[in-house]
Amino acid sequence: MRLPTIYFCIIERFESLLEPEREPCGWRYAVLNKTVIDHLRQKVGAGNVYHEREDLLVYGYDATPEIAGFPDVAVFPENREGLQAALEVSRREGLAVTPRGAATGLSGGSTPFQGGMVLGLTRMNRIREIDEENLTLTAEAGVITVDLFNAAAAKGLFYPPDPGSQNVSTLGGNVAENAGGLRGLKYGVTRNYVMALSGFLYDGTEFHAGNKCVKDVAGYSLRDLLVGSEGTLGIITEVTVRLINPPQDKRTLLAYFRDIRTAGEAVSKIIAARIIPATLEIMDKTTINCVEDYAGIGLPRDMGALLLIEVDGHPAVVAEEAEGVRKILEEVRADVIRQAANAEEAAQLAAARRTALSAVARVSPTTILEDATVPRSRLAETFAEIERLKEKYGIRVATFGHAGDGNLHPTAVTDERNREEVARVHAFFSDLYEKVLSMGGTVSGEHGIGIAKKGYLLRQFGEGGIGVMRRIKHAFDPDGRLNPGKIFLDEGIPAGSKIPGETNG
Amino acid sequence: MAEQCLSSNFHPEDAPGYESILQCMRCGFCLAVCPTYALTNRERSSPRGRAALARAVAEGKLEFTPAVRDESFFCLDCKACSTACPSGVRVGTIMEFCRSQAQVFHPPSLPAGMLRDFILKRMLPSPALMETSMLPVRLYQRLGLQWAVRRLGINRFLPDTLAKMEGILPKLTPPLRMEIPEMIPALGKKRGRVGFFLGCAMSLVFPEVSRQTARILSRQGFDVITPKEVKCCGAPHLAEGDRDTARRLARINIDLFLSLGVDFIVTDCAGCGCALKEYEELLEGLDDNKRVVRFRAKIRDISEFLAEAGIRTEELRPVPLTVTYHEPCHLVHGQGLSVPPRQVIRAIPGVELREMKESNWCCGMAGSFALKELETSRRILERKLAHVRATGADALVTANPGCHLQLAWGVRELGMKQPVLHIVELLGRSLPTGPI
Repeated sequence: MRLPTIYFCIIERFESLLEPEREPCGWRYAVLNKTVIDHLRQKVGAGNVYHEREDLLVYGYDATPEIAGFPDVAVFPENREGLQAALEVSRREGLAVTPRGAATGLSGGSTPFQGGMVLGLTRMNRIREIDEENLTLTAEAGVITVDLFNAAAAKGLFYPPDPGSQNVSTLGGNVAENAGGLRGLKYGVTRNYVMALSGFLYDGTEFHAGNKCVKDVAGYSLRDLLVGSEGTLGIITEVTVRLINPPQDKRTLLAYFRDIRTAGEAVSKIIAARIIPATLEIMDKTTINCVEDYAGIGLPRDMGALLLIEVDGHPAVVAEEAEGVRKILEEVRADVIRQAANAEEAAQLAAARRTALSAVARVSPTTILEDATVPRSRLAETFAEIERLKEKYGIRVATFGHAGDGNLHPTAVTDERNREEVARVHAFFSDLYEKVLSMGGTVSGEHGIGIAKKGYLLRQFGEGGIGVMRRIKHAFDPDGRLNPGKIFLDEGIPAGSKIPGETNG
Repeated sequence: MAEQCLSSNFHPEDAPGYESILQCMRCGFCLAVCPTYALTNRERSSPRGRAALARAVAEGKLEFTPAVRDESFFCLDCKACSTACPSGVRVGTIMEFCRSQAQVFHPPSLPAGMLRDFILKRMLPSPALMETSMLPVRLYQRLGLQWAVRRLGINRFLPDTLAKMEGILPKLTPPLRMEIPEMIPALGKKRGRVGFFLGCAMSLVFPEVSRQTARILSRQGFDVITPKEVKCCGAPHLAEGDRDTARRLARINIDLFLSLGVDFIVTDCAGCGCALKEYEELLEGLDDNKRVVRFRAKIRDISEFLAEAGIRTEELRPVPLTVTYHEPCHLVHGQGLSVPPRQVIRAIPGVELREMKESNWCCGMAGSFALKELETSRRILERKLAHVRATGADALVTANPGCHLQLAWGVRELGMKQPVLHIVELLGRSLPTGPI
């Protein structure tokens, strides 16, 4: 205990009397001139504008390794007027604008790669309405995903999308990245729940897309274009999502396997038997051990893989499906099959699975994770390919993911200081994506392209597909100021911005 | 010495280990549990942001600027982020190192530095000096001055910091250190011999609480040895960035307690317990590791010790009370002890434990934070007390003197009904009265 605290306070008081007010450091207004900052402070609120180097430094990253930018200013409007004012300033000053939620993204989507303005949405975080007649919820973009879930649950309703970072991620970020989660297999991803969006285009023009109607075929679906647009088309400030009835019952099964390929086989068989669990997750040996190091919930350290399976719905269906899953697990000779004792244990297991990526980061300083997704019938094959390539490039890879979605997260554990090994890691992923695409897969199941996967997108879509995307981008943002440098490989650097990675000062 | 980057802007002595900073992969899981981030919504005041600042300094991309110093002190060091972090990053510890660095890069002015040195290097290491320093306060209370100040509302005109200092201290009685017998024999069937690490704050501010601890240990069948030569655990030094003195105190305490021949070393102060358990890290690579490990293996918080040993319940009498439990950060996050205190509370007949929301969220005391950052501290406290009030419990139980002071002050300020009790006071009520 720090009783003598009193004395430290005396020191503090004493010091403040003796020391003159510190002069603002020279670099403070080095980039944007003071008038611009003052104007922003006046329009958005003094406490909502950051321009000191220490602040800018921490608004340069998200959860993607090796990638960080350095903005000129970070602005956190509390309302639409403030946001509009910030956009106006950015337009006048020719600043790039990078929208930012909680910056938990895994493809660099919210990093201000080319400097400019970081537009934080976390202070627009009100839940506007829960419409129990239309079963919708309307909230501002900065609402935390789990808060939205809880608000719906308080009314006896259910918002299924549950990305791993749901305790911190924002609704706006989820929509911009079209986030998935553990329940994607049965309930779909964020897109499947977005009914309406509103926000602002690059020039401050307000837009509304979608509505509360179940059916709507009026014009192009701007809503669907904006979901997953990674902040490159518009700034989303408000979202209306669809809510559903929560499942009446659920049951969680765990299966352990000595060989990960058997686990892959089990997944394919479960789907082929037309059983759609809410959750069907996989972890390999490395992941199991890392998660166990953190969570300490008694996972088997010596097993090659683990499947976490949750079936939910009407009690009769749950019983039938659980039985069906169990039969398949026995058929493929899973080494251990067990059922979670109670809801608490089930929740504990799901929570542990959510920590997988961060827990894997225990092993080494850098974790480079990918997001390969294949048709589910090709899962076992993909596992075999990961094993083969791992050997070929001599790197360590932990694999976990949403097996039921065919969405795997092979994660290379490396050290970014070891450039040679990192190069091998990138070669590994390059080969893996070649294979994934040849199987009819996609280079990103749920993390988005951002910066990290720009190179792979062309392989998947070819010049034709990319060309269309470019024209769409141009139609929304002709100046290329919204989140520049993302998705497309050779996006020009707007005037007035800095070279990526460069810091001022 | 931990490995450093060649381009590091940290001073080589007592710099945070580069590997320990690199461990952060920026997933942001810590954002949900950080009290200062919850209040400010400012990334640099979050664990992830603080780790990033430390990394920038370690990589030579940022000097150790005043803002880095400020963030290291604005961190509550509540360690909630360590519990939440799947990657095993300990930002609180990294910030403790940064506080050491602050003394190098931004030393206090000469007079303030002398005062600081006097407190950290002279007064805290000397229990006698500490006790003397509390005399004026006791005099102030004894002469009725406190009563008059409060009655006349003079305290309202004091500067905020002084007003809080005046308000937060309970009525002081003579310190326990000199009064407690060096050895209290076990009652009933003897189960072992324990050393009692009597913390400064417990002895000076909560002597009655620690008297209960000794009484409980004795009645539970343990000889209780309380050495008078005990020194401050070093927690204030770590918090204020004086690792040198912390190491000096650690060595004295290790020698002292290892010489007692006790099975365990028990403390009723979560802050002390946490610091004692970190001696190994503090002295890493410097001292005879085996001795430090042996010392570390004996340290137990009182509820950890009771839960492990098993509570003898035969003589416990019912205490009809509904309580809620506030988890001290240094117990739940610093020592990972969340279940044992609840086991102790539940073992008391008649007591009903009603859980509050966010029981493991900091109360805002955080060492000197409560007096330095008055407004922030008050807002953190209000969040806590709102949850306490919602339980409707009769009493608020905790297990650390810092939390105890802060919560009791808040309860008084807000006119709430719940008395604040240390867990051993609650257990003490269940024991028969007697000489011990």
